[in-house]
Amino acid sequence: MSNSGSARKRPLPPTKSQQPPPSKVQALGEEEFFDEDVFLDETLVPEDEESLILRDIEERQALASRLSQWARPPLSPAYVSKTQSILFQQLDIDYVIGESHRELLPNSFGPAAIIRIFGVTREGHSVCCNAHGFEPYFYISCLPGMGPDDISRLHKILEARMRESNKNSKVPQFVRRIEMVQKRSIMYYQQQKSQPFLKIVVALPTMVASCRGILDRGIQIDGFGMKSFMTYESNVLFALRFMIDCNIVGGNWIEVPVGKYRKTTKLLSYCQLEFDCLYSELVSHHLEGEFSKMAPFRILSFDIECAGRKGHFPEPTHDPVIQVANIVTLQGENQPFIRNVMTLNSCSPIVGVDVMSFDTEREVLLAWRDLIREVDPDIIIGYNICKFDLPYLIERAQTLGIADFPMLGRIRNSRVRVKDATFSSRQYGTRESKEVTVEGRVQFDLLQAMLRDYKLSSYSLNSVSAHFLSEQKEDVHHSIISDLQNGNSETRRRLAVYCLKDAYLPQRLLDKLMYIFNYVEMARVTGVPISFLLSRGQSIKVLSQLLRKAKQKDLVIPNVKQAGSEQGTYEGATVLEPRAGFYEKPIATLDFASLYPSIMMAYNLCYSSLVTPEDVRKLNLPPECVNKTPSGEIFVKSSLQKGILPEILEELLTARKRAKADLKEAKDPLEKAVLDGRQLALKISANSVYGFTGATVGQLPCLEISSSVTSYGRQMIEHTKKLVEDKFTILGGYEHNAEVIYGDTDSVMVQFGVPSVEEVMKLGREAAEYISGTFIKPIKLEFEKVYYPYLLISKKRYAGLFWTNPEKFDKMDTKGIETVRRDNCLLVKNLVNECLHKLLIDRDIPGAVQYVKNTISDLLMNRMDLSLLVITKGLTKTGDDYEVKAAHVELAERMRKRDAATAPNVGDRVPYVIIKAAKGAKAYEKSEDPIYVLENNIPIDPQYYLENQISKPLLRIFEPILKNASKELLHGSHTRSISISTPSNSGIMKFAKKQLSCIGCKALISKGTLCSHCKGREADLYCKTVSQVAAVEELFQNLWVQCQECQGSLHQDVLCTSRDCPIFYRRKKAQKDMAEAQKQLDRWDF
Amino acid sequence: MEIDGEKTLLERKQSTYISLDETFEIRKETYGGQQYSQIYFTRLHLMRTLLYSLVPNLKPHLPVCKILGLEKGKECIIVGTLYKHMKLKPSILDEYSKTRSVTPLVKPHNFMHPDDHLILEDESGRVKLGGTMLLPSSYVTGIVVALHGKETGAGDFFVQDVLEAGLAPQIEFPLESREDKYVVLVSGLSVGSSASNPLQFQLLVDHITGHLGDEKEQAIAAQIVHVIIAGSSVEIPRGLLNGQNLASQDQSRLSEPIKELDIMLTQIAASVPLDIMPGPNDPANYSLPQQPLNRCLFPGSAAYNTFRSCTNPHCFELDNIRFLGTSGQNVDDLQKYSEAKDKLEFMERTLRWRNLGPTAPNTLGCYPFMDRDPFLIDSCPHVYFAGNQDKYETSLLKEGQLVRLICIPKFSKTGVAVAVNLRNLECHTLSFGTQFDL
Repeated sequence: MSNSGSARKRPLPPTKSQQPPPSKVQALGEEEFFDEDVFLDETLVPEDEESLILRDIEERQALASRLSQWARPPLSPAYVSKTQSILFQQLDIDYVIGESHRELLPNSFGPAAIIRIFGVTREGHSVCCNAHGFEPYFYISCLPGMGPDDISRLHKILEARMRESNKNSKVPQFVRRIEMVQKRSIMYYQQQKSQPFLKIVVALPTMVASCRGILDRGIQIDGFGMKSFMTYESNVLFALRFMIDCNIVGGNWIEVPVGKYRKTTKLLSYCQLEFDCLYSELVSHHLEGEFSKMAPFRILSFDIECAGRKGHFPEPTHDPVIQVANIVTLQGENQPFIRNVMTLNSCSPIVGVDVMSFDTEREVLLAWRDLIREVDPDIIIGYNICKFDLPYLIERAQTLGIADFPMLGRIRNSRVRVKDATFSSRQYGTRESKEVTVEGRVQFDLLQAMLRDYKLSSYSLNSVSAHFLSEQKEDVHHSIISDLQNGNSETRRRLAVYCLKDAYLPQRLLDKLMYIFNYVEMARVTGVPISFLLSRGQSIKVLSQLLRKAKQKDLVIPNVKQAGSEQGTYEGATVLEPRAGFYEKPIATLDFASLYPSIMMAYNLCYSSLVTPEDVRKLNLPPECVNKTPSGEIFVKSSLQKGILPEILEELLTARKRAKADLKEAKDPLEKAVLDGRQLALKISANSVYGFTGATVGQLPCLEISSSVTSYGRQMIEHTKKLVEDKFTILGGYEHNAEVIYGDTDSVMVQFGVPSVEEVMKLGREAAEYISGTFIKPIKLEFEKVYYPYLLISKKRYAGLFWTNPEKFDKMDTKGIETVRRDNCLLVKNLVNECLHKLLIDRDIPGAVQYVKNTISDLLMNRMDLSLLVITKGLTKTGDDYEVKAAHVELAERMRKRDAATAPNVGDRVPYVIIKAAKGAKAYEKSEDPIYVLENNIPIDPQYYLENQISKPLLRIFEPILKNASKELLHGSHTRSISISTPSNSGIMKFAKKQLSCIGCKALISKGTLCSHCKGREADLYCKTVSQVAAVEELFQNLWVQCQECQGSLHQDVLCTSRDCPIFYRRKKAQKDMAEAQKQLDRWDF
Repeated sequence: MEIDGEKTLLERKQSTYISLDETFEIRKETYGGQQYSQIYFTRLHLMRTLLYSLVPNLKPHLPVCKILGLEKGKECIIVGTLYKHMKLKPSILDEYSKTRSVTPLVKPHNFMHPDDHLILEDESGRVKLGGTMLLPSSYVTGIVVALHGKETGAGDFFVQDVLEAGLAPQIEFPLESREDKYVVLVSGLSVGSSASNPLQFQLLVDHITGHLGDEKEQAIAAQIVHVIIAGSSVEIPRGLLNGQNLASQDQSRLSEPIKELDIMLTQIAASVPLDIMPGPNDPANYSLPQQPLNRCLFPGSAAYNTFRSCTNPHCFELDNIRFLGTSGQNVDDLQKYSEAKDKLEFMERTLRWRNLGPTAPNTLGCYPFMDRDPFLIDSCPHVYFAGNQDKYETSLLKEGQLVRLICIPKFSKTGVAVAVNLRNLECHTLSFGTQFDL
């Protein structure tokens, strides 16, 4: 079993537990690709079972008619009579093993791989195209002197060995044929144009791998002895192979002309148009004009609610699914056209939503399946659906014994398959996930997309939507969900509204972030199926482009054995040592535009232009035809042999230029979205080529290329620094000596010394032009922006105001400064932001210092809003599994002892604050639940926050500005007075007797409000008390009104317990403060 | 020269006073975790009973529905609480927004936006309102309305008509008292602020107490039977009240204006009954109903039984004429979230909506009442006033019953107090402005 998530098709394991847990051996590596064959018959439900299901459907006629109004538009007569060619946008391509088609392929027999292409026509009809005749193959290099007889001998030996290792297979012939072709390996510069290779065609896709294994290990051939063969292109997934050979890219339009297709005799799918054809008859359209548009896909966004038991995260073996909310939208429309919710037990109606209530969970699940079948979504989206919702539904159905539930795919009677998968890649790290295969429907989990594309402090749906949609979402704690479910139809309605919102938000995120456009364009640019983009890493995208290009040039790509990390590492990008400081003169930034791609193009760096050290000696190349890179490698110049990588890059960058130009012209917002997505995809793709060559455990690592790239990069940064500092001098006729204060991977910061932004921009442009002239095209230095003022802290840490025009700054730009670190409390973020704002925008250093002092004083005086001090960490395992004791884990344990129902479970995020504890208490013992702290007046530990949270980021900012930053900010007079609240429930306070004290001077009194001394100050003391009350009242009102707003109801109590919401603790605190303030005020009523 | 001329002894007129502030007092109620939903619920419940009773008379042929029971295309009457979705409404969450804007985006005095729309809510659900009958610009969140219309295909409710409850019934206007008696209304004294002019205030006090002018004028003063101070009587430097211990000179700065006010009030209270209401700037709580200013602030005047510290809103009867009014917060809040030609129109609307402060608790601070809504107006007052307005405005509503609406201007800014005649509800200003435009 492969552990690095891959194959498209796997049979459903009888039970989950039988699967061995994925081993971690390859967890560090880039993915490796495997095909896995799925036999059509194995996945299908036996006929009698099918009829049983059908009967069941009849019983639920009422529901069926309710759902059928959402079916796809009926086929036009031209389609029915097959007098129209079928043009569709494909979304998913996979394959299945079936009998070869007798009519289309009269000469073949036995099992064969059938490519299935799923898509949508312009009219919105669903399409399933079975393409026949495409055969899996790979190459090996031909041994010198091999003749036709040797080849047929090889064929026989190979066939025999294959039969030996696949004893159970019913395939009549394993190796279909072996052909000799003229190709050339992509590796290294070679003078001869081509050499013979053997193309080995096998019967089924999985046989590529087993055949490769045999050839790798070596076979005995008469006359040649024991030989092992280097294989080429033997690790290409079958579906991708098909796409490459047919020039199909992910998400493009495919046409099947009239007469070239025939209706499938026995329909296998639920698609409206299902037909068979030869793969060679497919016409793949280029992405231009009409064909760059999107078909009206149906996008289903859904969310489920489960009734968990108190104290447990819902488990499919115990806890029922109680609601499923669905939102269906047509691609290109603003509003969903279906909104419904399926509930267990009655539920009051919701305006604009179709509420379907059922008495049993079985009916709920089956209704959802019927919905999927009727609505027939092309894309299924949701938040964490891949890891939670979908596997939960399927496992739940298994527990309930609903055998006919998991038929959610487009293939009739075929069950979806769930398996554990580990996805690991250098860029995204290792993540465990469940893989649910729903045939013919693309799954797009917004959570996975978020994790992939954005660095956020929290990935809860609430905080993600707060971040992107600027909306807080009501969060109902799972302990309340069961209560709502067990209430009446009104409380269940409440839950349904909540569930609907959770289903709608992913759709809105998808729209807001243009995900459909960006991902479809990425698939089109890189040529991989859309589903690969989320489930796989970067390298397959580059590999796909490389394979396409290689095919055009008759090159073949060797399957390099996983070399591990023995090749070692190489020197990375350079950073010019920053001269830290606060620069109050404008700083010009000179950027290299797409530096690494430009270098590869300029110096023709490629696999096919690299000359091996032996060849350097042997070939005796003229020096004017080669480049020696700063890292010592030799590459031939493009005049001799143009590299493939430079060519790919050139195409990508030209395409990007064109897309950007078209974008300017475009009027239609949808067209704009497509083009913008395309240019973005092109940019990302161009930049990932370099990484592909440097991935030591990747598909085709070539450190000679990547180390050359970075060495050129370093050279260029140094070169730029030198040129700037040589040319822009007083001696050279300029006002000041220019100074390079910092340089990073692809940019150089220059202080020209001139005070006006406009002057600096002029000089910046001049410098960029001058220096660009000294580089080989297309390497280009660009001047884009000025930082003024600029706070340079250290490597990759800086902040400044960003100017692109001399009139007004565009924004404040910060890098590497704590504003989004997860384990920081909000206080740090606010403090840092406010300070930067004061320093950079207001240019008010004393103001910033004062602000810091006030904040520290507030902290020490216990006046800080508690929500600012909350630290949040995810609980990934239970306490025993953690080796080191961690604050949040310990707290979760303690909370479980207090109240198991509301304690955080594995998977939850645990918010905590650090409290003052006994001397010598360990850090992890000092964590406490913020609510508990509020309720019991537990003092927080200001020293912890001062030292462990705010001091470092603050000093980083202020050290370049103030001389004695630490002394001034952290140890000044403002840190002298400290106030600590008295806990109400702990230790000695339990025995303390409370006595009245004078409000004015805290002297003990026996009755009344004030002592005799303070009597005269009644009025002003009263004013003080009442103004505090007024302040709390105002806060109370603002907070609770906001929460009503969020939950979208005035007449119902706020239930939300979203601890991600910044005002959650404040709201709690306001409620408590209010009660106390009123008590204080009541003392004056005498 | 008059020697031993018969000195007419002017006697101040009297009137009977009944305080009706009880509904605005928060006594036993405490903050025990209740939320704002109850007050909306109570409001909806009480108003619905009233509005339902109107349906048989106004639209006898139409069925009455709940929002849940709406059916597409079916005309019906629905009753619910309005919620106005406002784009620019400030939110406490703005404090946490990612990017701090360099300049504040909205003007602070009005948060209207053309995209605002109305939503009707009852305990069963919400529906978006469409049509042109109900202009978002003149309605606010918190009003209970009865609407005639039908659900459209898009799930909106198309409003065809609004059923109005109209003014609440009044207690009978007493006809027997046919003599001139005046009630003086003043607000925004702002003692201690830079705008306040001590002389102006002294003139007002002297006029009321009869120390000003000749006999004729004194005779008028003698007809003043009651003085109402509608909020914002002092201005305390807020900066001093940040929770830190006060230095002694600050203590005096804090209490000085209050002492000054007490001295003046003592003079009034010595001669005529006086009601003082708390207002936006007073040392009182923030939420409505504001509770009476503590008597400990007024050691001098509180000794008189003519001195009454009242709630805001304040309701009372003088000679069976009912007064109701606020220190102006309700009207000011309406102005932030809706539009009208003048302040009087806002006031009139609150009477028709039968709610003194519909925007409480949404945008107007309010105590979270459990089982009542003190802002409901079940009996229409004869005199309805709002304090702390920019200028003096008045009008008389005549709809079978008379209602005098008064905007009391800020005294510290205008030097104007308002006198209402109890005989005929006529109304005039007493101007003490010491600056004249010559």
